[in-house]
Amino acid sequence: MTNIAILNRQTHRHLRVHAEPSAKLGDNQRFVAVVVNEFPLLVPHYPILLSKDAETGSFYCGAMLGFDTGENLFAPEEGTRGDAYRPLNLQRGPFYTAGSELAVDLDHPRIATGSSGQPLFDDTGEPTKYLQSIMELMRELRPGLERTKIFIETLMQHKLVEPVDINVGFDDGSSRQIEGLYVIDQEALRNLPDATVVELFRRGYLHLIYLMIASLKQIPVLGQKKNRRLLGETDQIAPRVG
Amino acid sequence: MTNQQVKSVVIVGGGTAGWLTAAVIAARHQGRIQSGFFSVTLVESPNVKIIGVGEGTWPTLRTTLHKIGVSETDLFKQCDAAFKQGAKFAHWTTGAADDAYYHPLMLPQGFTQVNLAPHWLLNNRGRTFSASVCPQEQICEDGLAPKKITTPEYQAVANYAYHLDAGKFAPFLQKHCTEKLNVRHVLADVSSVNLTESGDIRSVTTEQAGEITGELFVDCTGFSSLLLGKALGVGFKNCNDVLFCDTALAVQVPYDSADAPMASHTISTAQPAGWIWDIGLPTRRGIGHVYSSRHMNEESAREVLLNYIGHQHKDLPVRKIPIHSGHREMVWKKNCVAVGLAAGFLEPLEASAIVLIELSAKLIAEQMPANREVMDIVSARFNDVTLYRWGRIIDFLKLHYILTKRTDTAFWRDNVDPVTIPDRLKNLLKLWKYQSPWFFDEFDRLEEVFPAASYQYVLYGMGFRTEVTPEENIATESMAAKLLNEANMVTREMRSQLPKNRDLLRKIYDYGMQPI
Repeated sequence: MTNIAILNRQTHRHLRVHAEPSAKLGDNQRFVAVVVNEFPLLVPHYPILLSKDAETGSFYCGAMLGFDTGENLFAPEEGTRGDAYRPLNLQRGPFYTAGSELAVDLDHPRIATGSSGQPLFDDTGEPTKYLQSIMELMRELRPGLERTKIFIETLMQHKLVEPVDINVGFDDGSSRQIEGLYVIDQEALRNLPDATVVELFRRGYLHLIYLMIASLKQIPVLGQKKNRRLLGETDQIAPRVG
Repeated sequence: MTNQQVKSVVIVGGGTAGWLTAAVIAARHQGRIQSGFFSVTLVESPNVKIIGVGEGTWPTLRTTLHKIGVSETDLFKQCDAAFKQGAKFAHWTTGAADDAYYHPLMLPQGFTQVNLAPHWLLNNRGRTFSASVCPQEQICEDGLAPKKITTPEYQAVANYAYHLDAGKFAPFLQKHCTEKLNVRHVLADVSSVNLTESGDIRSVTTEQAGEITGELFVDCTGFSSLLLGKALGVGFKNCNDVLFCDTALAVQVPYDSADAPMASHTISTAQPAGWIWDIGLPTRRGIGHVYSSRHMNEESAREVLLNYIGHQHKDLPVRKIPIHSGHREMVWKKNCVAVGLAAGFLEPLEASAIVLIELSAKLIAEQMPANREVMDIVSARFNDVTLYRWGRIIDFLKLHYILTKRTDTAFWRDNVDPVTIPDRLKNLLKLWKYQSPWFFDEFDRLEEVFPAASYQYVLYGMGFRTEVTPEENIATESMAAKLLNEANMVTREMRSQLPKNRDLLRKIYDYGMQPI
């Protein structure tokens, strides 16, 4: 359940929030809504696809984090630090916007009890660095949602979206079928009239489209990650260069 | 003259028949239209009112509308459309309070693999035929929609058609035809139909727009059949000796509240001298009493209708609609083909009117004769197929009446009189005593209006028995058990997934459906 309240420096003066990535605290999602602003940051780690909102049927962009319900293969093990970029919708934790105000879900598992977690306000009642970062994030997320909506409308208008069925087999003999996901229709993209291509390019959409296409290469990588989990191996950290 | 190319099609008459035919032909030949080699013109009187009540359709309409390129969301929003998952027939068999069966739109589970009817006949486990072999009866009883908001336009979870307001459907199609499909729209009254020496239609003269010529004329002028009937003298083949109903009294009944539950199936309730249709549109129910004036006078018929809708609705306006059951002796003569009421009409018991328009329009569009010389070959085939369809629909409608066990009124007793039953149907019934309709039956046409499954639903819904011995079933026993089990599983799954009919409609208004 949710219990959303407008954030208030008096009432919520002592409120603390667990900010760290954690599956237990709400990062356990296999598909998270993302906005176009973060596409460049997502591409090195996650497949970016489209899916439909179960309530409205409208399309949204999302990053795929796992194969099973509630599985986030990027959520770090207890006590370690995740090295992948964390989508804004996970970073935001219990925070929402209500009009121009910041709101907080007081029933969210990230709301801390006692003295653990990040404080929101300092002794003088000013927002802490953490809360400032959340406000910054919301300034990114809100216009991002609007931009993403228009981007998707443009994709639909040019019939550039097609459904995809993801079937992955793993070494333990099991397999996963994921339905309800959509990708860029590359055939339709190739057949666009020149004028449309230029228009998409000028609006910055061609860039986003190719980021989405490139990100599909992360599906087999994600599959390998899952495979290692299934076989009981730990993720290997690639050696850093330089 | 004989080798004149067919380059312009002139459709006379708007309404659902005219505009749907225009849309199907124009969509199919859009390339030629845009290149200037072909044209579709629709001439419509500015004064004639369209006959339209709450209409039921067949699932074929989804494919038809998808092909002509309209959005399904727009259809729902602009035509007062709602889902139709089949029909529930109440009181047709015995007239008892609990006497009802479903004719759903889904085929029995695994219909192409095994005929489940003989297996159900031998052991029905206390369940109706339709509930045993497909989920739709249960879905309708639960008041659920046939799809979800995430299901793309025109795709189904459970097969569906529409209930819609035909008075809004024709203008909806008109807009699409004129704005997207380059159909020429002429608002004018036809004053004369001009023939050539060989008896073809050369042109129609209009009061407001002069003479309009064409190589192929489509008669969509409704009951009056101005072109095929009047100008070309094609006779009308009455079938009121088989189907007795000849009058309908139609009324629109508001819901008690805006969010009252709405049935997603047509409810057809048998009456002493006919039956009542009940079609749920989002804003109102379209209800009509179809009856035989030979068996009941109008005053009593109005009383029967009022008893059904409730006496609190006694001041609602009732429209009287004559039903001339039958069809033209031929539907394509010379260079003129009739579609819709101009071709024929039957009581709306199985929503056959719009599906026949679709099938005819599609056949004309696909078989569009290149020139006058080959037109006679096309028209002969068209007549053959279309008259076959009329015959099968008449048989199928009659089937609903002859399986009754009701003897309470002369109407029901007269209906089972063998002289009123077409020979072909009599033979089929004899045959079906020993084998149930399925593939390899005589329903061999490519696009049969009612598939063998429809006959099964009505036959076994009305308690007809086909003799089955356990030995005959052995060969398909395990497969049938598997399919019956599957039908149960699908039913459970759909019941847990599908939203309420009214709720989905509200979401369609609020968010629309996605094209993919």
